[in-house]
Amino acid sequence: MTSLLRRIGLRVIALGYLIVILVAPLALVFYRTFEDGIGPAWDALSTPETVNAFKLTLIITAIAVPLNTIFGIACGLAIVRRRFRGKGVVNALVDLPLALSPVVVGLSLFLLYGLDGWFGWLGDQGIQILFSLPAMVIATIFVSLPFVAREVVPTLREIGDEQEQAARTLGANSRQTFWRITLPAIRWAVIYGVVLTTARCLGEYGAVAVVSGRLQGETETATLRVEERYESFDLAGAYAISIVLALIAVLVLVAMTAIKPKEEAA
Amino acid sequence: MSIIATGISKRFGDFVALDNVSLEVPTGSLTALLGPSGSGKSTLLRVIAGLEAPDTGEIVISGEDATALPPQQRGVGFVFQHYAAFKHMTVRDNVAFGLKIRKRPKAEITDRVDRLLGLVQLQQFGHRYPAQLSGGQRQRMALARALAVEPEVLLLDEPFGALDARVRAELREWLRRLHEEVHVTTVFVTHDQEEAMEVADQIAVMNNGGIEQVGGPRELYEEPASEFVMSFVGPTTRVGETWMRPHDLEILLAPSPDAPEAMIERIVHLGFEVRVELVQADGETLWAQLTSDQCWELELAVGQIVYVRPSAERVFA
Repeated sequence: MTSLLRRIGLRVIALGYLIVILVAPLALVFYRTFEDGIGPAWDALSTPETVNAFKLTLIITAIAVPLNTIFGIACGLAIVRRRFRGKGVVNALVDLPLALSPVVVGLSLFLLYGLDGWFGWLGDQGIQILFSLPAMVIATIFVSLPFVAREVVPTLREIGDEQEQAARTLGANSRQTFWRITLPAIRWAVIYGVVLTTARCLGEYGAVAVVSGRLQGETETATLRVEERYESFDLAGAYAISIVLALIAVLVLVAMTAIKPKEEAA
Repeated sequence: MSIIATGISKRFGDFVALDNVSLEVPTGSLTALLGPSGSGKSTLLRVIAGLEAPDTGEIVISGEDATALPPQQRGVGFVFQHYAAFKHMTVRDNVAFGLKIRKRPKAEITDRVDRLLGLVQLQQFGHRYPAQLSGGQRQRMALARALAVEPEVLLLDEPFGALDARVRAELREWLRRLHEEVHVTTVFVTHDQEEAMEVADQIAVMNNGGIEQVGGPRELYEEPASEFVMSFVGPTTRVGETWMRPHDLEILLAPSPDAPEAMIERIVHLGFEVRVELVQADGETLWAQLTSDQCWELELAVGQIVYVRPSAERVFA
């Protein structure tokens, strides 16, 4: 009897925690969005400003995720497979965005690209960084930088380099070894890293809020739009945008699971 | 297809892994690099394969200077102790890897992989993944994979080290037969003297980053060049200042002028072989190896006083 209680008790705690923290708020948002039917939600979503906000979020994500994926894999390979001076520093720096508040990131970019910043001269050349797409992309790349590298590093350590050496002795050059041996061996780490990076990019608020200038219909991403709608007492609009953001994240997860090849089952 | 290594040195930080090592592996031979761990045997093999770059010295494979060549251009097959199986590929794809890299026609690849899987007796396992094979099967797959590209030399790094004793004995025997069939120049690393003696026709005994002696199994056993070689390639016991094989120690029941007195401390029956542990008057211990018949005839018993006569001995400076 006590063991039954204990078993059920554990589940109750785990599930209860998930419900209170995760499910309940999401369900409430979902309920509020469609409280008055699909019409008001659709109206809120189809305003040009909101459409533009989603477009902007997707563009930023589409630039930041591939760049961070390539960087993360290269960085992981360098940290695990190469010996070089300052490796410890690189390893620690990769984690920095996790420790730093996004607002601080935004402010530092502001200082760097602002009129008096090191790269302030770019503005004189007519290259607009702050309050436009480039700054928002840079801010998003910064905050979502560690995820792929953090997933790839332990996996690379775990598989070791014997398979790569074997490929070399069998005639493969470094490019062939990477594409045929290393990348397939770490692909789940990469995919998981991509999912996390995507989620982070979609959800980024603080850093982008600082550098974007929040011009409605121009430099307003979906998360900024949620905040703006909320402040303007348009709760239905805020909820509707939130729901779509959550759905995109879920879609990414599902897509990643779907491309999982069958051999893994073995 | 011979391998000539000349003056190879390699350091890892403060550790000298290889110290001015030279070795010649004749075409078609099966050579063992034998030594304790840390003796430099694996490093030498990896230098030959191009997986480590030597600090000094040169490697000549089939008459061609290979010192500066990357591993993929050396024409070597390498087999790792822990198989290094490509886990995301089937057995067939593992074996075909080198051929696909060389962009051979599909029909040729299929044909060759079929023959190799037959050679290593894995015909029915072509569509499995390495995780579904036993250790011995994985190592046979790794061998087929290395042989697929028709290497000029085959290098094996403790190939049977991770396997249990029975599978190891089977694979040794099998490697010997394979070598007779394929006749590729082969070098393998082992710390097991019995394995080296059983499989190789030439053995290089290594110690502390250097080669102590190169020779056939019999030569090393009968005429070891140093105390280290003598103690590494077979059992030894010490009588006074001299080293000898325990089976060269004769046990007499009656006193004899050239046979010191000793007391039997322990008798260990190992089947055909009997190990007799003795202690001399001055407290020195030694042991003799007898057949069980000899032991039976002498009617030896613990506590008995006997006389030991060395019939062949060796003094090393």
